[in-house]
Amino acid sequence: MPTIANAHNDLIHDAVLDYYGKRLATCSSDKTIKIFEVDGENHKLVETLVGHEGPVWRVDWAHPKFGTILASCSYDGKVLIWKEENGRWAQIAVHAVHSASVNSVQWAPHEYGALLLAASSDGKVSVVEFKDNGTIAPLVIDAHAIGVNSGSWAPSIIQEGPGAQQIRRFVTGGADNLVKVWKYNQEAHTFVLEESLEGHSDWVRDVAWSPSILLRSYIASVSQDRTCIIWSQEHTGGPWKKTLLQQNKFPDVLWRASWSLSGNILALSGGDNKITLWKEDLQGKWEPAGEVQE
Amino acid sequence: MVKLAEYSRTATFAWSHDRIPSLVTGTVSGTVDANFSSESKLELWSLLAADASEPTLSLAVDAKFNDLDWSRDDKIIAGALDNGVVELFSKTEDSLKSEGSFARHNGSVKTVSFNSKQNNVLASGGSKGEIFIWDLNTCLKNSKDYTPLTPGNATTPIDDVSSLAWNQSLAHVFASAGSTSYASIWDLKAKKEVIHLSYASPNTGLKPQLSVVEWHPANSTRVATATGSDSEPLILVWDLRNANTPLQVLAKGHTKGILSLDWCKQDSQLLLSSGRDNTIVLWNPEKAEELTQFPTRGNWCFKTKFAPEAPDLFASASFDNKIQVQTLQNLTNTFDQEQTATKQQESETDFWNHVSLEESNEKPQVMHLQAPAWYKSKSPAAQWAFGGKLVHITADGKGVIITKPTISGLEENKVLDA
Repeated sequence: MPTIANAHNDLIHDAVLDYYGKRLATCSSDKTIKIFEVDGENHKLVETLVGHEGPVWRVDWAHPKFGTILASCSYDGKVLIWKEENGRWAQIAVHAVHSASVNSVQWAPHEYGALLLAASSDGKVSVVEFKDNGTIAPLVIDAHAIGVNSGSWAPSIIQEGPGAQQIRRFVTGGADNLVKVWKYNQEAHTFVLEESLEGHSDWVRDVAWSPSILLRSYIASVSQDRTCIIWSQEHTGGPWKKTLLQQNKFPDVLWRASWSLSGNILALSGGDNKITLWKEDLQGKWEPAGEVQE
Repeated sequence: MVKLAEYSRTATFAWSHDRIPSLVTGTVSGTVDANFSSESKLELWSLLAADASEPTLSLAVDAKFNDLDWSRDDKIIAGALDNGVVELFSKTEDSLKSEGSFARHNGSVKTVSFNSKQNNVLASGGSKGEIFIWDLNTCLKNSKDYTPLTPGNATTPIDDVSSLAWNQSLAHVFASAGSTSYASIWDLKAKKEVIHLSYASPNTGLKPQLSVVEWHPANSTRVATATGSDSEPLILVWDLRNANTPLQVLAKGHTKGILSLDWCKQDSQLLLSSGRDNTIVLWNPEKAEELTQFPTRGNWCFKTKFAPEAPDLFASASFDNKIQVQTLQNLTNTFDQEQTATKQQESETDFWNHVSLEESNEKPQVMHLQAPAWYKSKSPAAQWAFGGKLVHITADGKGVIITKPTISGLEENKVLDA
């Protein structure tokens, strides 16, 4: 597996592989995004994307059915959309509805279309759909008064019964120490608060909704309070159950949570530079599943 | 602007030390309010309250305030009163309460400041060079006979002491400034003023008044002072190991004398200043760079402070009868641009009809976009990809590693992810 040393001149904040594991996008405090082609042990820098005016916090690849498309967000308050065609990268759209740092971007499940969720320090999240003919009016939602640090989509599920329809949901984590679950409301044409989850005693740094649709819904939230909480829900509309991943606090602030694509392994990144892996046992308890060493 | 709250008070204030902070305000002296009232109040405001027109708690106080400070454990609020009294208050769920009042200063009390290490230690400064050090553990038990300490002998002339700041790492060291051209560094162990700072302007040869002092958040030998001079408003950053010449001179941000400084506790590369030119400026004091100029207020901005535990926010008090809580960042977005575009379509009549109704939508002017330290993740940012691959950032923060971790006791995982 490849190691790419000194990819950027300043701190890297995010690194994401595309759907096929062939392309890696990295973003940094040096205001740039880099695209690497990865093949076995080898890697090659293919492009440096310049356009942001501040540190770039997160990047996310769109589903390949929309083309080779990358979204990036920055302290400059903007979300930029980049596209590669015939080997040439270009910035194809600017999403600038926020008035402060945009701290996370994530594409929705591809069944919903090219739909993007952005979370900002201005206290709002926005959901914007990119159509072939340009950008439609974005939905802007007041989410967490002192700032939103992260947002994550629920996997696509269809509500059973007559008039089956998609249930579009996402989760946000904020500087008000709260985790909030939002659900699309057809009549209101926007996302409305479904649940406000209290459990952290400090900033929620990241939230991640498990992509697994096999059993219940799982949300992992990690915080400046050095804890990780697993929120689970048996069925849509039911109560959310709170489980502390481990009783003891972690040695340092937890910054990131990521579920494996099958949804059963959770990777946590801490301020102590450690990555710990976790899985649920048959009794519903979370147990360590390893540590990633450099 | 992203104004989180606006309280219509001509008041000084202090922040609580919560992630979702509260603000206490105290009617400021030297002003007459719109109703010509001479009443003075201590009031508590919850930042997320739906109604910002009324405080959550209120208490009538005998005299008006020159300054307020809230201890780091949030237990005691200290008020510097115009009638020479230092009054201590506490906050419960449903009330604000006076814990004791101490008429020890000979003139009005100008400023109060809690020690950064010991919550029971308070310094107060007043007119005629009076500085007192209070031990709250003792004085709250024996309010009648308590006599505060004095810090010892001064070697420079001291007049009004309107600014006091405790060193952030040494509990026995503090600095004072006010109406003279000297800022003093005091050592309570040595019981005297150990260093003084003064600045001779290379342009005029004169020594301007040093009106404010503020310590570096981590470096115990570094201190900032500001000049109160309208002709040469400057912020001077000193290293005390060379107290003859400032390390940095921050100029051209203000056009009149500076009244307030706040060096961000979470990021030493952020400093807020405000003054008699009605403006608030955000600086990088280490690079002597002006970062942001905030929209002008209606009058002098006499106090501007970061929320100590939510530094994306700051409050500023002005004689324009408002305390504003706003965010550090307030960039122009597409909605603002659309609004401007709509306005340009308006007829002359519509424009003049609307102009007096509209709230100012003025944005801060950003000279340098600098992300605060608390935004920058210091973690490997691990993220799963297809095929059981995990991408993460290297310990030096500048490289990337792709691995395929083996999960103990979970072989089928590979099948599912493949």
